[in-house]
Amino acid sequence: MTIQVAPPAVGTVQGVRAGAERQSRLLVVAEQECRDLWTSGRGLILLFLFSVLLSGVTYLTSTNQALNFLEQRESVNLVLQFAVAVGVLATLVVSADGISGERERGTLETLLVTPVPRRSIIGGKLIAALSLWFATFLVSIPYVWVLARGVGILGRALALGFCVGTLVAIGLGSIGLLISAACNSNKTSIAASIFLLLILFAPTQLPSGLPQGWFFEVLLRANPVASGLAYISSILVEGHGWTQDLALLITPLLTAIIAGGALILAGPRLVRLTRGVNSE
Amino acid sequence: MTSTTIEAVRLTKQYDGRTAVEDVSFSASQGEIIGLLGPNGAGKTTTIRLLTTVLQPTRGEFSIAGYPSTSSAEIRRCVGVLPESSGYPAHQTGAEYLRFYARLYGLSRSQARGLSAELLTAVGLEDRGQSRISTYSRGMRQRLGIARAMINDPVVVFLDEPTLGLDPAGQAQVLNIIRGIAKARDATVVLSTHLLPEVEEVCSKVVILHNGRVLVSGSVGEVIKTALIEQSAQLRVPLDLVERARNVLAGFPGLTIKQTAEQPELLVLAVDRPGTDSAHREVMNEVLAAVTAAGIPVLRFELEGARLSDAFLKMTSRGVT
Repeated sequence: MTIQVAPPAVGTVQGVRAGAERQSRLLVVAEQECRDLWTSGRGLILLFLFSVLLSGVTYLTSTNQALNFLEQRESVNLVLQFAVAVGVLATLVVSADGISGERERGTLETLLVTPVPRRSIIGGKLIAALSLWFATFLVSIPYVWVLARGVGILGRALALGFCVGTLVAIGLGSIGLLISAACNSNKTSIAASIFLLLILFAPTQLPSGLPQGWFFEVLLRANPVASGLAYISSILVEGHGWTQDLALLITPLLTAIIAGGALILAGPRLVRLTRGVNSE
Repeated sequence: MTSTTIEAVRLTKQYDGRTAVEDVSFSASQGEIIGLLGPNGAGKTTTIRLLTTVLQPTRGEFSIAGYPSTSSAEIRRCVGVLPESSGYPAHQTGAEYLRFYARLYGLSRSQARGLSAELLTAVGLEDRGQSRISTYSRGMRQRLGIARAMINDPVVVFLDEPTLGLDPAGQAQVLNIIRGIAKARDATVVLSTHLLPEVEEVCSKVVILHNGRVLVSGSVGEVIKTALIEQSAQLRVPLDLVERARNVLAGFPGLTIKQTAEQPELLVLAVDRPGTDSAHREVMNEVLAAVTAAGIPVLRFELEGARLSDAFLKMTSRGVT
């Protein structure tokens, strides 16, 4: 028996050519990557774990607040910082799987032989990774709302969390993809990304009672995560204006611009069958 | 009129000082099925990756459907590829998978839906299109991969080991699909495989690679001829009739008869000066007729040296033409 594989109708072929001019392949890749992330269960599991952790943190914070160990503003700040930090961590983990994961699963080559520009492939993956940050932010809204009732900082807290978190997520998501492109093994890529994040979180874990000299200040300002969280804290807890400590956002902004720019510029040389820019 | 769809000239690829392929040149025309053969590590996959623009050649040039190697985006629009050990997203359905690739080639959602259904039918997966790929057998995944390679109605289709790990029924199914692609779509198919009898059956042209170089290319007949294999035949008769058979065969001038102590009932026949293939076959037909006319039952009669596998083994073991 010979199976006849007939060519598609003429209209379809013309549709391929005409449609190719119109459609944004970046969005097609992003849509598919999002679907992969959310329907495969990976995104939902991460979101579930996030909500469990956030529930625990919110419970502890609210009990501390009830016992007068924490002020209400501090409670909101703590929960929001946790939401941003863990949301960004999830984004980094997903983006770290982006290229190296495809290499390991053997699905990258089929993408590379399509006419989709490699920048679109990498851009689509970044958008999908950011979707996890947006989802974690949505989940955290009711928690922040519960804690922020009565002090009139709900809107400010949510806007702050969204802006700072998105900025940090873009930067770290891009770094995650760059690491992923540089690693042949998915385990190496994810381990390297988490290690990076732990280094970035380290300054935020130092006890507040410690003397904080110039070295701490440099460490804080050079770190996109720590400086972003410090900006949230300065507005929510210390009551500073939006522009007063704007310098704290320079590092998150620069990280997003430099890492995102590197991704756009080096993307075509990074999305390859094997790691490294000179491997092919 | 058929046109040249693949033109590779002295393609060379080196990685870190190691040469994967060197001076690979061949051409192919519309509707042809080219068998890309060679032992493991011969450079088949690298050649395919070069021609599909996944890798950049270190030296040499090529064109696909008239587009030079520098026009990688245009080349990718007109080729379909089933890579070796291609992975599949296990949680997607076959239809979803094809729809995604159709949309990457610029089709709208409705066009992609229609085309995916059409291709699933073409590869015999119409009943499993809504099942997750994780539930597919290896043969079904390979057929799905071939359907994906056809999504852009390609001018050239590259299939890297499409029958790897398939049972005989699965292999036959895949080969039938390949025949269909070349026939119905008039596409050039480059088939990298180790299934030499099937290559002999479906391929109009063969390129044998060894250690990254082209050993020989041409039609199956030309390749066998290039190998200069000594043509012979094996005749097996009942043990008690061997002497009678030898007496009959002695009447053929120039026919050499060899017999081994391990298998005395097996006679290996060779013609000293066979001339052309057809002359050799003619002599052997006369031999067979004479033996049967003498009332000797023939238990087995097989012509040796006329198969692609013989030529392949001979050429790849000596490594030169």
